[in-house]
Amino acid sequence: MNDLLIPGSISSPTVRLDASRGMMELAGESYPQNAFDFFAPIIDWARQFLRESPDPLILSLRLSYLNTSSTKCLIDLLDLLENAYKIGRAARVVWHCDRDNERAREAAEEFREDVTLPFEIVLEGPAQ
Amino acid sequence: METAALDLYSLRKSFMEGEVLICFNGPFSHSIIEEIGIAVKRYLETEAASRSAVADVFAVFVELAQNVQSYTHRLKGRKDELGLDAGTLAIGRRGDNYAVSAGNMIDQADAGPLSARLEELLTKDKPGLKALYKERLRGPRLPASGAGLGLIDVARRATQRLSWSFRQIDDRYSFFSLSVII
Repeated sequence: MNDLLIPGSISSPTVRLDASRGMMELAGESYPQNAFDFFAPIIDWARQFLRESPDPLILSLRLSYLNTSSTKCLIDLLDLLENAYKIGRAARVVWHCDRDNERAREAAEEFREDVTLPFEIVLEGPAQ
Repeated sequence: METAALDLYSLRKSFMEGEVLICFNGPFSHSIIEEIGIAVKRYLETEAASRSAVADVFAVFVELAQNVQSYTHRLKGRKDELGLDAGTLAIGRRGDNYAVSAGNMIDQADAGPLSARLEELLTKDKPGLKALYKERLRGPRLPASGAGLGLIDVARRATQRLSWSFRQIDDRYSFFSLSVII
């Protein structure tokens, strides 16, 4: 199974999907022209990984802002991991937030409310 | 006969009276939205606005601008002496708050449903808006643009009631304008 690397832009996150480590990393801001087109290959990759590999899957997010279309796409991705987790797969989410970015933390917490898989919010940067 | 020069002074005066910081009028492209977004963030950071206020103004700007972009894109190709493909956006101060306003021409047939969606948002408090947001997030993707979700997000970030207007321009089109105070 192939790795996937999508370089970031002003309005789309850097995406690194690493099959050998079972690691999906998204970092940056997300408000692309068409969020559904942007997220489609990422969701397809996760679906393929869950089908072809028995290994754990980790979704590591460092998203300082998501528009509503990106939020909807990320929910689809989380649902995929959540369903895999419910049938016994090892899957978890780690969401990295700047300690002083309250809105990003609130967004992460809202995503966490809707799932039961392990979902860790890691606050980073100097304590105030 | 000379063409009358643009009266920059009166334009400037309206901007200053309206406490407008950044304004754009014209066709919205994705790269223009990115560039204005960068400018908005830089400007607010130099004003020492709180990080949450910067985040909310930016988020409201993105949702409104992307709504205008997708709607005006659908009107493209129609005969256009009204500037159907152009959106108007202004970000400014409103006392101690910030205001993000966006407007564009709309087909009058769309005014009723849009008005109903906005009226529905006014009936909800913040927890009600959050519940509605989550419900729509899980619902089917809307065929048009998903604008419903964007407006709920905007309402959640607003510190005052949303205000909007429809100004009838001719028998087919109205100018829709929405203002959000943060």
